[in-house]
Amino acid sequence: MSYFFQIIVSGIVVGSIYALAALGLVLVYKSSRVANFAHGQIIAGGAFITFFLTVRLGIPIFFSFLASMLITFFLAMSVERIFLRRLIGEPIISVIMVTIGLASIFDGLIYLTPFGSENFSFPTFLPTESIVVGGVSISWTQLVGVIITFVLIGGFSWFFKKSTVGISMRAVSDDQFGAMSVGISVPRVFGLAWATAGLSAAAAGCIIGNITGLNFETLHAFGIVVFPVVILGGLDSILGAVVAGIIMGLIQQFASGYLDGNFGLNGTGDVMPYIILLIILLFKPHGLFGIHEIERV
Amino acid sequence: MSQNRWLATGNFFTFYKEEQRTFFTHLDRTVFTCFLVILFGWPLVFEISNKYMLVLDNILIAIVAVMGLNLLLGFAGLISIGHAAFVGIGAYTLASFSQVIGDNHMIITHFWPVLIVCAGIMGAIFGAFVGLPALRLKHLYLAIATLSFQMIFEWVIQFMSFFNQGQTIYLGRVHWFTGEVGRNEHYVFWYYVILTLVVAMGFGVRNLLKTKYGRCLVAVRDNDRAADAMGMNPGLTKVYAFALAGFFAGVAGALHAYLYRGVGFESFTLHASVGYLAMAIVGGLGTLNGIFWGPVAIKFLDLQVEQFSELAGRYLTSAPNVATALKPLSFGLVIVLFLMYEPRGIANWWRIVKSYTKLWPFRY
Repeated sequence: MSYFFQIIVSGIVVGSIYALAALGLVLVYKSSRVANFAHGQIIAGGAFITFFLTVRLGIPIFFSFLASMLITFFLAMSVERIFLRRLIGEPIISVIMVTIGLASIFDGLIYLTPFGSENFSFPTFLPTESIVVGGVSISWTQLVGVIITFVLIGGFSWFFKKSTVGISMRAVSDDQFGAMSVGISVPRVFGLAWATAGLSAAAAGCIIGNITGLNFETLHAFGIVVFPVVILGGLDSILGAVVAGIIMGLIQQFASGYLDGNFGLNGTGDVMPYIILLIILLFKPHGLFGIHEIERV
Repeated sequence: MSQNRWLATGNFFTFYKEEQRTFFTHLDRTVFTCFLVILFGWPLVFEISNKYMLVLDNILIAIVAVMGLNLLLGFAGLISIGHAAFVGIGAYTLASFSQVIGDNHMIITHFWPVLIVCAGIMGAIFGAFVGLPALRLKHLYLAIATLSFQMIFEWVIQFMSFFNQGQTIYLGRVHWFTGEVGRNEHYVFWYYVILTLVVAMGFGVRNLLKTKYGRCLVAVRDNDRAADAMGMNPGLTKVYAFALAGFFAGVAGALHAYLYRGVGFESFTLHASVGYLAMAIVGGLGTLNGIFWGPVAIKFLDLQVEQFSELAGRYLTSAPNVATALKPLSFGLVIVLFLMYEPRGIANWWRIVKSYTKLWPFRY
């Protein structure tokens, strides 16, 4: 039975990271209807910036965490300003392909640095022994990671509910012309959405990097795995991203915990999100909390 | 009617039949024939190293694959981020033959044209199957559905022992009328086979787009409800577009398998899918000559980057791996720059040149 609970715990850990990674995608999609295929690269970039600041420059990890969030904030904002603002109103395939192209560019840039090919790990700053409660163990890194994730998600929700900028973002996602007519600068909101997405991506990158170690391949793979998560939750719902992230984490851990090794299967945890994704797309394409778009001719 | 059959300054069609002609002027026909003669003749005249022949073969295979993708994306307006998976289906059809009956069985070595068609049909079946979500989904959702097909395909190949867990599955050397195709003439032989196929399929696509079925695709792309009201069947059209794309991809996959005499997993990853998308976009979506420009441009860029990084690697010994870095960088830059400054692709440059020369030198 403790095996079962262990899987639940690790599912929640993985799931909360998915939630945080998916948050950035949802933020961008919600305001500007752009699906960002370069999100994984921004996550990786955030993690590597934190690593660079902590290890090479010797800044305490907490400050470098904040600093990398700030750097990706401006990085993502400038990406929006330079590349995506020209494409407002272009067909969807152009926008998708531009983000794929950006992902490729970031890949190239990261491969130019030593981070592209080597493995690194953050210096340990938390106790290394695990907390064991009733046979279920969770490491300190995981626990702190989950707590930070939930604090950040709570912060983002508050930001959207209460702050003026958050409200203007929601207004833009609801109706762009309406938002314009009450004096909201829509391009500025797009930029801010990208910036907050970059910020959350950096946070996600740091937490993943602390839990699993820094490897470019695993980090940028998150950019693709979050798509099943956001589709399950509904592409434009923050609550959906959180719930779906945790559901997806649990599904993945249960699949790899119970299916792998049995029935001659292997690596089911990697493929399960996509199978779920196909099923959802067939039966409930707008996800659990997404808004059903009605199309009229 | 005394019309100049060599040069036309515009379209002066008086019958629908005239619009359906393959070549509009004698000049078109002559230029095309000369071009074909050059393409078919030059390996006979010049001695080309196997390395460059392989590049040429790769370009031609990519043209076959992109033909399918351009039909799907450019003409039918359905986004697919899983095209390499369809190519992989074609290749792995051959691989499963090789696994079941042995890699030097007569079916594989002698009846390879049958197997290539077989792989195409297999691709079409899978294409139609994957196209089913297209009945309900559009745009981004469809893109993500095909993405998940790509990921599931990769997983199936990587974790099934039947497919050798993604390791290379070998195929025997094929036979021609003159006997076994040896090591030296292998690449030239496949150059001719693929070139013939490309020409045949190019004509096929061109003619298809002039028939009811081709125009159906364009109509559904532009507005599927309007197409429905005009008496077309958008659902069927979408599935058939996917099947068509799957067929071309399957043929490309089979050719790839025969060319490399083996099927490995790494040629059919998500990265390859993105590559096909880039070729289709750089060439020009929804255009016929874009099908040919795109792969040529992207593969040429690849070649240049390879040579450049070889050069750079000679001087910068400390640089970690210039080739792995420069390839995605240049590739991404090309995609982004094309989308930002020339979204209609290289085909648009061709169009501009053509319309300029049409009236030259009498411009007014």
